[in-house]
Amino acid sequence: MRGKPTRRKKKTFIKRRKVCRFCADKIATVDYKDTQTLHHFIVDRAKILPSRISGTCAKHQRIIQQAIKRARHIALLPYTAD
Amino acid sequence: MGLYELAVLFDPRLPDEEVAELSDGVKDLLSGLGAEIVKEESWGTKRLAYPIQKLTEARYVFFTVKVDDGNPFPEVEKRLEQNDKVLRYMTVRLDQGRLRRRGEELEPAAVAAVPPVASVAPGSGSEPAAAEHKEAS
Repeated sequence: MRGKPTRRKKKTFIKRRKVCRFCADKIATVDYKDTQTLHHFIVDRAKILPSRISGTCAKHQRIIQQAIKRARHIALLPYTAD
Repeated sequence: MGLYELAVLFDPRLPDEEVAELSDGVKDLLSGLGAEIVKEESWGTKRLAYPIQKLTEARYVFFTVKVDDGNPFPEVEKRLEQNDKVLRYMTVRLDQGRLRRRGEELEPAAVAAVPPVASVAPGSGSEPAAAEHKEAS
């Protein structure tokens, strides 16, 4: 939507409805050893991705958070990116 | 008590036989303390996400353990803590939800034998974090 700004247009926000991946797939738990999945929920700096970005519901965010922290403890995931 | 998973990271410089020996030692200790080994999983040498004791690799071994009575973990963790060949360990409770997902990997008998934990109220869905032992070495 970034064409030629001939006229100053009012910014319009297109709201995309975010759906929790885990609710959609009916996944109840996340294994801390499943680093492939967990990698989707950390940013490049190795921080945990906020649910407002990922769209994960609160329940599943807690589950992911727990799994990431466990994976970090046994060095499957980094605490920081160097 | 339920099902637990014990993750142990061994020194990568150890020969295979010694890792096997140490794993057997952990298993013997667990079963000696009244725990039943449901499953053992060895990942072999794996790269660490960050160095531990200046090492960049470790040998990962996971034990799934069923505990009926007593708590073997204080003793097991004490031993692991004192063992220089263990870089790190972690004990985690496998709750009902996780069992559901991993059910087919575990012995059906073991899964069936787990008493149903009081159903989680909708919305709460929190993990029983209290049952978890974490220890940074």
